Amino acid sequence: MKIVVCVKEVPDMESKFKIIGDSKIDESQIAFKMNDFDQYAVEAALQLKEKFGGEVMIVSAGPERVAKEVRQAFAMGADWGIQVQDPEVDAGDSFVVASALFGAIKTIGDVDLVLTGVQAEDDQAAVTGVMIADMMGVPHCTNVVKLDVDGKNMKVNRELEGGKNEVIEMAMPAVLSIQSGMNQPRYPTLPGIMKAKKKRLDVKKAAEVGCTAVGAAGSKTSFVKMFFPVSDHKAEIIQGDPKAAAATLVNKLKNEAKVL
Amino acid sequence: MARILVIAEHRNGALSEGTLELCKAAKAIASAAGAQPAAALLSKDGSLAAELAKYVPEVFTVSDGNLENYTADAYTQAVKAVVDAQDVKGVVIAHSYDGVDFAAKVAMALGCGIVSNCNKIEAQGGNITFTRNTYNGKIQEQKTVKTDKFVATFEKGAFDKEEAGGAGSVTAVSASISASRTKVKEVVETMAGSVDISQATIIVSGGRGTKDKDKYNDVIVNLAKKLGGEYAASRPVVDSGWTDAARQVGQSGKTVTPKLYIAAGISGAIQHVAGMKGSQCIVAINKDPEAPIFNIATYGIVGDLFEVIPAMMEAIG
Repeated sequence: MKIVVCVKEVPDMESKFKIIGDSKIDESQIAFKMNDFDQYAVEAALQLKEKFGGEVMIVSAGPERVAKEVRQAFAMGADWGIQVQDPEVDAGDSFVVASALFGAIKTIGDVDLVLTGVQAEDDQAAVTGVMIADMMGVPHCTNVVKLDVDGKNMKVNRELEGGKNEVIEMAMPAVLSIQSGMNQPRYPTLPGIMKAKKKRLDVKKAAEVGCTAVGAAGSKTSFVKMFFPVSDHKAEIIQGDPKAAAATLVNKLKNEAKVL
Repeated sequence: MARILVIAEHRNGALSEGTLELCKAAKAIASAAGAQPAAALLSKDGSLAAELAKYVPEVFTVSDGNLENYTADAYTQAVKAVVDAQDVKGVVIAHSYDGVDFAAKVAMALGCGIVSNCNKIEAQGGNITFTRNTYNGKIQEQKTVKTDKFVATFEKGAFDKEEAGGAGSVTAVSASISASRTKVKEVVETMAGSVDISQATIIVSGGRGTKDKDKYNDVIVNLAKKLGGEYAASRPVVDSGWTDAARQVGQSGKTVTPKLYIAAGISGAIQHVAGMKGSQCIVAINKDPEAPIFNIATYGIVGDLFEVIPAMMEAIG
């Protein structure tokens, strides 16, 4: 089985965010990591490989530093990967990124499954996987929480609201977006980390993977600005050391809110 | 006149609440864009059309056996059929499980841009600007669409529900819908557990910040017991197996409205907030002063929950 996992590098969401000129995050203050949801997708791919054999490829788009996240997936057990490293892709919207990832997947050829996380923690768009499926001309399923494979046929649980799942039958090739909690992603082992350093990572420009939709020109949406949300309601923040604050809080819950 | 087209979401013979919010969103976008709101009902037999027509002046139905269950393949074909037959400028879809599954495919079929997970719109000289949450709700961004048409998805609660009252027209759009490549077999319940936290009057809920299973039990479960309430969790805690799925609060779990909801180590992602924002009094304890949970809480303590909660236990006596 040939399985591709799309991996994205995102800021650690507990970083102290600063916005420069309404238009971008001050990256000097940010620690980067692999998108949490993608870890579940990598784990799902590795479990399929362990059961059915085959190969797990990682594709990613982003600047040079993204190699760290790709190699983390290698250290977990993925075999090799492609990094589309092209500022013109980074400057594009989800459609451009999907086009670049699709281009990379096409160069691999005869892929059975493409797995993504359900969304990136930074953009929260949840559109790239569906776009890739459409470009590949294959079916997709999002928010997958369970997957049974029988040859080329799959039984997939798609998460719905309120703790329900829809059980779906579909066939490979396909694109699945993997929801958190589907599995417990493994930690890279020390030998895994050593091996990861030697695994093949092809670095390509957009044009080298046949992707012509790049930059602002190739995008279908435009970014206007970014800002910190202004809430019309803010909590009453209780000051003081933990002991004093806790005592004040309990007092307020009893006598002000009257909920204790 | 161009239309802003809501794709109605329905299951088990009822329109979703989100659909009524979308009707409100479509009205707002339409008045900004010089268009008029409309809705599409994609189903087996169009039986909800009259109900939907109470909320928008025009309803277009696509009825086909292959639309009996929601599927991305069939829905995309049906939306395309309506857009091809009518003058549609924008398509609005719920940012729900179904919406996320097909909205981007519709954008691809129409060759247009998509802005997903929006919570607000503004009009600037006839141009629509969409505001959306990014970075786990810490930052918002504004986007516009470059193509003539657009697809936008809206998060739940972004708009009030449109009031019923009108009696819009219903027009059938003929289309031949081919079978989906994904086949829906059944819908199953995954939270069958003994506990029903939705009945509790006090809930103590822990998130990623509770660190591990033992610590979660130490602080969250113990405080809940001390207060005579139930303990609950945000998604990462359940994903990690520190507590049961039946105790998960949020979009994919339970919706709760207790008198007191204490959120400890929970950042306040929109998916969690959707399940608890109706609580009477919300307490947020988090070491990150920028955590979005503080925007909806009644009281907040910025600090280490492992210091604050034991001190609370002591203060309760």
